[in-house]
Amino acid sequence: MTDLTPITALGAETARMQDFGVLRIAESTDLALASLSLRAGQDAPTPFGLTLPDAGGWASQDGQAAFWTAPGQWMVEAEGRAVEDFAAALKAEAPGCSITEQTDGWVTFEITSERATSLEALMQKLVNLDPACLSCGTAARTGLEHMSVYLIRRSDTCLAVMGMRTLADSLWHTLATAAARLPSEA
Amino acid sequence: MLIPHPLLGPRDAQEFTYLGDASLMARPDPTRADAEAAFSDYVFLRDNPAGVHRELWFHEQGDRSWLVVTRDTVTHEILGAELARDVKLSREGME
Repeated sequence: MTDLTPITALGAETARMQDFGVLRIAESTDLALASLSLRAGQDAPTPFGLTLPDAGGWASQDGQAAFWTAPGQWMVEAEGRAVEDFAAALKAEAPGCSITEQTDGWVTFEITSERATSLEALMQKLVNLDPACLSCGTAARTGLEHMSVYLIRRSDTCLAVMGMRTLADSLWHTLATAAARLPSEA
Repeated sequence: MLIPHPLLGPRDAQEFTYLGDASLMARPDPTRADAEAAFSDYVFLRDNPAGVHRELWFHEQGDRSWLVVTRDTVTHEILGAELARDVKLSREGME
């Protein structure tokens, strides 16, 4: 068999990480993703014991997390399981639901900062959203420089930006440029 | 311009794309005897009111839902927004 070398969404062998003052942007390469949709009339399951969040929400438990994407639809995340068949594992947890593998469709950049205000200052430059849409435990989809992205506020100090994988370089460029231009007091 | 999404709150109109008159949801029955005339009106004829207008917007860079937005075409004031799914289901419930 051909000897294949896996590369990240940004084309390197290892995940990219860069510091911009208090902000750190890190490419996440081990996050498994699968979408979950309910069929008509179906009740929401609790995959891996996780209660699926309401509109605009993000919930996590024991390494798995889910965020709301549309009525009756969620994206389920699992840390460190990108190389597994996570969609099959989710299918077993949510019988009858429509599950689609999404891991290879997206790139995730985790932006962390000791100061929550610097994450908010960065997003004020990049997206036109009410800051309440970026409070802890929320996830929002919006446009960022004509790219469609999910913004997931995992904690006060962490905000994930998830965009289409083919646009990974453009998205990194946008985030890195805005982060580098952020005033140091932000 | 902000559109008051019924599930997500006020969102920038740039996240949406516009389709047109919400009367497009009332597709004529193709089995009716006057179906040809009804489809002619449905496809080609639109009211063009100066004032309150109900129209379809798609939340493309969002939750991908279709909304029925009530807008004043004179002032561009947005008077309300509902999920098109709810509008359709309540209409079918009345029939």
